[in-house]
Amino acid sequence: MRAYVFTDPTLTKRAGQFVWLSIDTEKARNAPFTKKYPIRAWPSMYVIDPESEKIVLRWVGGATVAELDKIFDDGRRASSRPTASTDSLAKADALFSEGKYEESIPAYRAALKTLPKTSPSYARALESLLFDLSTERQPVECASLSRSSMPSLRGTVAGASVAQSGLDCALKLPAEAPDRASMIAAFEKDVREVLADPKLHLPADDRSGLYGSLFDAREDAHDKEGAERVAREWVADLDAAAAAAKTPEQLTALDPNRLNAYEAAGELDKAIPMLEKSEKDFPDDYNPPARLALVYLKLKRYDDALTASDQAMAKVYGPRKLRVYSQRIAIYQGMGDETAAHKTMQDALAYAEALPPGQRSESTIASLRNQLGSEPGSAAGPCGH
Amino acid sequence: MRWTLLVPLFVAAAAAPAITTPPASRSSLPWIEDDAPRAFAEAKSKKLPIFVEAWAPW
Repeated sequence: MRAYVFTDPTLTKRAGQFVWLSIDTEKARNAPFTKKYPIRAWPSMYVIDPESEKIVLRWVGGATVAELDKIFDDGRRASSRPTASTDSLAKADALFSEGKYEESIPAYRAALKTLPKTSPSYARALESLLFDLSTERQPVECASLSRSSMPSLRGTVAGASVAQSGLDCALKLPAEAPDRASMIAAFEKDVREVLADPKLHLPADDRSGLYGSLFDAREDAHDKEGAERVAREWVADLDAAAAAAKTPEQLTALDPNRLNAYEAAGELDKAIPMLEKSEKDFPDDYNPPARLALVYLKLKRYDDALTASDQAMAKVYGPRKLRVYSQRIAIYQGMGDETAAHKTMQDALAYAEALPPGQRSESTIASLRNQLGSEPGSAAGPCGH
Repeated sequence: MRWTLLVPLFVAAAAAPAITTPPASRSSLPWIEDDAPRAFAEAKSKKLPIFVEAWAPW
């Protein structure tokens, strides 16, 4: 979003319509904000009424410029609406904005019945409902809704998103579901159509997500050749996007997608020069060395992995530092150094416990305590805490 | 899907990085960076809603 979408010059006309607040959820100074407005998925976008301090509209995930225009318009409408609105979409949006996903499912279903399928708000409501169903682990309903929605959305950006949601949900259907295979096949066809549509102009990371889902589908089918074919296409698509990147920011933004694609294609070593370039272009960013550590770990080059992890550890901040700790533990375990792995896990627990409210995760702390307590030869509970 | 869900960080050790956000770049919009109190004060005085992008550098 920050490299490709918010840089679009057509958005400047919106500058005076809102006060624009960017929140890096990893920074400790933003912990009071994330405590008040918990984040379930990244990126998340909100419109907040400053008087009531309530979220009046929430959008989860990336968006194109055209989708942002709808979000801005709906957000302005929502912020000027009486709080006790009887509008069914407003009710659903209010529940969704409060994070009441289970309750917003029937509300969005009701709202969709009142909205014409050509309404700008229809696609936004549908995507919010699909997020609800995915978050609430309802793959049957998610796949079914995606399937029934596809005909009216073909050839649109929303249709691309629905096709991918449908495929991801279909892959989560129980193995014994009678229509599982036919659902997956139908959504794979939809995703293929999206990728082949020259009029859609999807951002590279959205296309990458579509390839990732196609790859998962071929793996799910135990189709090794098919998965390899998808992986090769995925790499080629992203390499073309990288060649067309206009700024170092745009190029680096593709790193996580390219890393996933290279791994799928069995070409993980290709990620090394890519990440070394990003590290050079953005020396303060912990992501390139953290990703390099991951690549070296997977390649079992443990000494290189540890060096990269040292560099990442010196730059990383916020809850994500726990991911770097996690990688580091795996590196030590790969080296056969259980003592260092145990010490790193203790350090991770101490760090997790010291995070402020809004960043502190009780489930992460419990998981770490459990791992420390269940290690062979260790006393129950973490040592030194 | 175009989002990354919150998952406990130690569930899958050394899992692949999620689809993520790049470093800050040249935006077309006048963002207030990491200062919610200032944004709320400005929004109240200008009587404008606040648009928030919550992101993470990973």
